Amino acid sequence: MMEPELNRSHTIKTIGGLVAVLVGFLILPLFLPLGWLSLVNEMIILALAACGLNLMLGYAGMVSFGPAGLYAVGAYTTALFLYYTEIPFGLALIAGPVSAAIASVIIGWFCVRLTHVYFALLTLAFAQIIHTIVFEWYGFTKGDDGIVDIRVPAFLESITNYYYFSLIIVCICLALMWRIVNSPFGKTLQALRENPERTEFIGINVRLYQLSAFVLSGFFLGAAGSLFCGFNKNVFPNYAHWMKSTEMLVVCLLGGVYNFLGPVVGSIVYILLDKVITSFTQYWPLVLGLVVLALLLFLKGGIAGFISEKVSAGRASWGKGERNV
Amino acid sequence: MFSVKGITKSFGGLLAVNGVTFHLENGEVSSIIGPNGAGKTTLFNLLTGHIKPDSGEILFKDQDITGLPPHRICRKGIGRSFQRTNIFPRLSVFDNVQVAVMSWERKCRNIFLRARNMNQKETDEILDGVGLGDKKKMTAGLLAHGDQRLLEIGIALGSYPELLLLDEPTAGMSPEESNKTVELIQRLARGRDLTLLFIEHDMNVVFGISEQVRVMHLGSIIAEGSPEEIRANDEVQRIYLAEED
Repeated sequence: MMEPELNRSHTIKTIGGLVAVLVGFLILPLFLPLGWLSLVNEMIILALAACGLNLMLGYAGMVSFGPAGLYAVGAYTTALFLYYTEIPFGLALIAGPVSAAIASVIIGWFCVRLTHVYFALLTLAFAQIIHTIVFEWYGFTKGDDGIVDIRVPAFLESITNYYYFSLIIVCICLALMWRIVNSPFGKTLQALRENPERTEFIGINVRLYQLSAFVLSGFFLGAAGSLFCGFNKNVFPNYAHWMKSTEMLVVCLLGGVYNFLGPVVGSIVYILLDKVITSFTQYWPLVLGLVVLALLLFLKGGIAGFISEKVSAGRASWGKGERNV
Repeated sequence: MFSVKGITKSFGGLLAVNGVTFHLENGEVSSIIGPNGAGKTTLFNLLTGHIKPDSGEILFKDQDITGLPPHRICRKGIGRSFQRTNIFPRLSVFDNVQVAVMSWERKCRNIFLRARNMNQKETDEILDGVGLGDKKKMTAGLLAHGDQRLLEIGIALGSYPELLLLDEPTAGMSPEESNKTVELIQRLARGRDLTLLFIEHDMNVVFGISEQVRVMHLGSIIAEGSPEEIRANDEVQRIYLAEED
């Protein structure tokens, strides 16, 4: 721990910074054209999904190749409820993350029995299974036509209102995740990431904790899917596609997996890059490939990791450094 | 308090541990020696649940713990350190021990409390005990090798074990560090009323602090006794001490 005074000033600075960012997001609709606002909305929902994935990826050290599967479970649950039933929008929205969490219990139960690349491949396989079900079960999910024109309450019809709605949900979810990663459970996950074998010998049931991380992660991925379903008013099988999973992984790596806000930074940069580059060239995937290459070779901690390293190095040169993972 | 009865494990055709039987009294400090490949670490892995024995029985405080998974065995009060340094490298030194203490107090499932200042007193006490109190803010992976070995013991102490198994606690240490560690182990055994069993190669360490020495060779215990008796044992001289030169 640092000296209390310095600690407090550091906390005040952090809170001040967060408030400034939040105010920034709040006033965006005042001057941003609707097209761009839409993009920012996509950005914050992607940030939520990536942060959800990062609970498992960055904190627990479990590399999943199939986060999009759970994201799609959330999106489709909400969409199907709104399409086939008359239940209120709010309930359909909550049903998304809940069913994604339930799906995670089942999928995770199998996946945590494996480690490393086998774990990753099994998560990919499950996501592809979800994709196939959604794609082929035409009578129920409308296959590749997707479910379109999903009803949302009148006050959420406007892009600006839905943006505020997303912002509130994303902030609540991020606050919950912040709480989780700083809890004893969150610390235990980090220990697990560092050394699963040792964690077992301090009395931790490794698989149970990995499964818990998987389910929490699935819950937030599902929440992001649900939220996006309401925003887009359409859902398609490609929500579960491995390309979508890759996108989430790249966002995490781009921002930095060892930093809580890394995936948020990652999603902002990713969406902006996407927007800017696709306006110049149709070869966006090529540029993306180069970005990933540069990232893995030169910026392993991601953008947020790089910044926080510089900041803590700066602080350390004042003789008061503390490194926080 | 701890009895091992006829524990046996083979890998393929190789009989790694062959009918090992011994008994530890409460508060006993003893060691297992033996040439490389004698099956010492395999024995430790059997005792702590890392691998399951083919046959035999392990009793701890009159409870059968044979075949339980490591996390359950740890909860019963058996801690261990590892031959190769086994810590949480990217966490701080403090966090390394704190997480063990939180786990012991069954707080790890809590997802809403703040962990930051939890069990600070207990963690500081353990870190001071192993002499890492002034390095607690450091990232564990950046500690010097000797300090990482001490941290390893600190993590094991975080589970407040009654029986502590130490796998070559002084491996790779300089003679000076080695002496410090021996002192530490002696202090621990006395202060915390621990039963200690360690594997060791350094004969000064073994004969310096053990009350009982057991010699393993080709998976079996071939001799057992006080350090003096073991020194005088002809067979041990032949198969083990001779190898040292």
